[in-house]
Amino acid sequence: MAQLEVLNPVAESEEKNIPPAARPKDFAGKRVGLYWNIKSGGDVALDRVEELLKERFPGITTSRHIGSVGFMMRHLTPGDAERVAQICDMVVGTTND
Amino acid sequence: MVELEKQGVPTVIFTAQAFVKDARQSAKTFGIRNLPLAVVPLPFSNQSGESIRKMVDDGFDQITAGLTRAVSESEAEPEEVAASSESIDCGPMGCELTPHDAFQVREERLIYDGRDLLEACALMNRKFLEYGWGDGFPLVPPTSGNVEAMLQGTRRPPDEVVVVLEPGFGQATVKKIAINAVMAGCLPEHMPVLIAAIKCLAKPEMYLRNKAMSTGPHAPLMVINGPLARTLKINSGTCALGPGAASAVNTVLGRALRLIMMNIGHTYPGISDMDTIGSPTKYSLCVAENESRSPWEPYHVSKGYSQEDSTVTIHFVYGLCELYDFANSVPERLVEVYATATKNVAQLSTGNWVLGRRSDPRYGTQEMEHNFMLICPEHAQVFDKAGWSRKDLQEAMYKAARMPFKTLMLNKESKALDAAHPELRWLYDNPEVLVPVVEVPVCFEIAVVGGNAGRGTYFYGAGGPVTVPIED
Repeated sequence: MAQLEVLNPVAESEEKNIPPAARPKDFAGKRVGLYWNIKSGGDVALDRVEELLKERFPGITTSRHIGSVGFMMRHLTPGDAERVAQICDMVVGTTND
Repeated sequence: MVELEKQGVPTVIFTAQAFVKDARQSAKTFGIRNLPLAVVPLPFSNQSGESIRKMVDDGFDQITAGLTRAVSESEAEPEEVAASSESIDCGPMGCELTPHDAFQVREERLIYDGRDLLEACALMNRKFLEYGWGDGFPLVPPTSGNVEAMLQGTRRPPDEVVVVLEPGFGQATVKKIAINAVMAGCLPEHMPVLIAAIKCLAKPEMYLRNKAMSTGPHAPLMVINGPLARTLKINSGTCALGPGAASAVNTVLGRALRLIMMNIGHTYPGISDMDTIGSPTKYSLCVAENESRSPWEPYHVSKGYSQEDSTVTIHFVYGLCELYDFANSVPERLVEVYATATKNVAQLSTGNWVLGRRSDPRYGTQEMEHNFMLICPEHAQVFDKAGWSRKDLQEAMYKAARMPFKTLMLNKESKALDAAHPELRWLYDNPEVLVPVVEVPVCFEIAVVGGNAGRGTYFYGAGGPVTVPIED
């Protein structure tokens, strides 16, 4: 019998731990941001989300957002995210993947 | 979305079934386990409006739940991950590969038994593939002895973290680089090249996360310049991109970089590398510039380094096209032929500048889309005899590589153009106007490579190249 001992090639990851945002109990009076990264079809999906939200939760308001940087997909910069956070209580996004 | 969660805003994101593992892994590396997803059967692209609306209707309850139900921070795998990604789709005739969890095997030392060492080595190879640690070709066993020998190729201590590599934020210690170099078949003297290459990958302007995780076939083209390329016998001439004995060093360097992306950066196919079809260029793609046959200053000198410096340039590229021309001996005609290769709208980067620039919002980087031209020495001489510099060729390419706006926009989202360049909206009313396929002339990168015939290679690029010196 022969034995081959080898070393593990996989690197350890830098650990990060960010607590998710606290969720509200319902949608009453909430403003929902609809974020599109501009990949095809995502806008159509968000149109439908907006219709369904308004049908099911009267009084809800919405706002549309795309990132200020990027090309065939656009991203929110930290500044964009801060602005969205100031006006929205929650966000639905499409990235198309 | 992680950025919004950090700011206290609940989010939920639509994710196609095949991308659930990818989305989970991605959110986890950024620090949020179990980021709420609304899982839909397919990506929204290429779907009819009716089909998209139906997917939203069917998945709408996941939206409301994701925004109003507390998010578990448990380490247990959420149900939709287990349910949605039991196997990687290898097609009806392909293997039914169960996705591994490459991170579950934590032991630093692994032992394989066999009737002899060859059998033990075969078992090691099978297990490494099962864990997702291999590229499909046989691996050289990273024994302690092999790794110790590899570490002699650098003065850096084994535990030094050279960089942290995206997308998995893997800590690239010198030892882990050496282990992967052994597996690829490298020699100790290759270590300084690999250390430079991994530094290149980790530069913020490389935006590795985007290229490593994409659905597109992004392959890291390594171009080596300077004296070390000659010392290490990196092929710059006949069949420089391989295969064969003459390109053996090119092959193992390119292969090591791929294994490093996988095992250190955690770019695993089907898990975090979501390439739709893949590409043979992703196995290995390394070349040296044929500086002795180039009429121009070496490529790295054009980037500000001295002739005595040795450098690694990495440029992520998509597909490639031959630059064949045996017929012409005047530069204008060669440029005309080359320009036909650039006008391929089925290639993502062609004319993409009208939609903006590839940008990493975390670092504020912006990349123009460059393409890499490996010009053969025969053609380079044609330009030189006519007194053309590299810059002259770039400018001539910029003028020749144009296509009608309406063709350029065939596969592009017009709202993206509206967002990036509202001043160009006049083009909608002038669809026949010829538009350059790149933003500026320097987006044509040019190096001289190859043997004795009028055949070069044009790489459609993803973003821009990054060059770093090989130091240690």
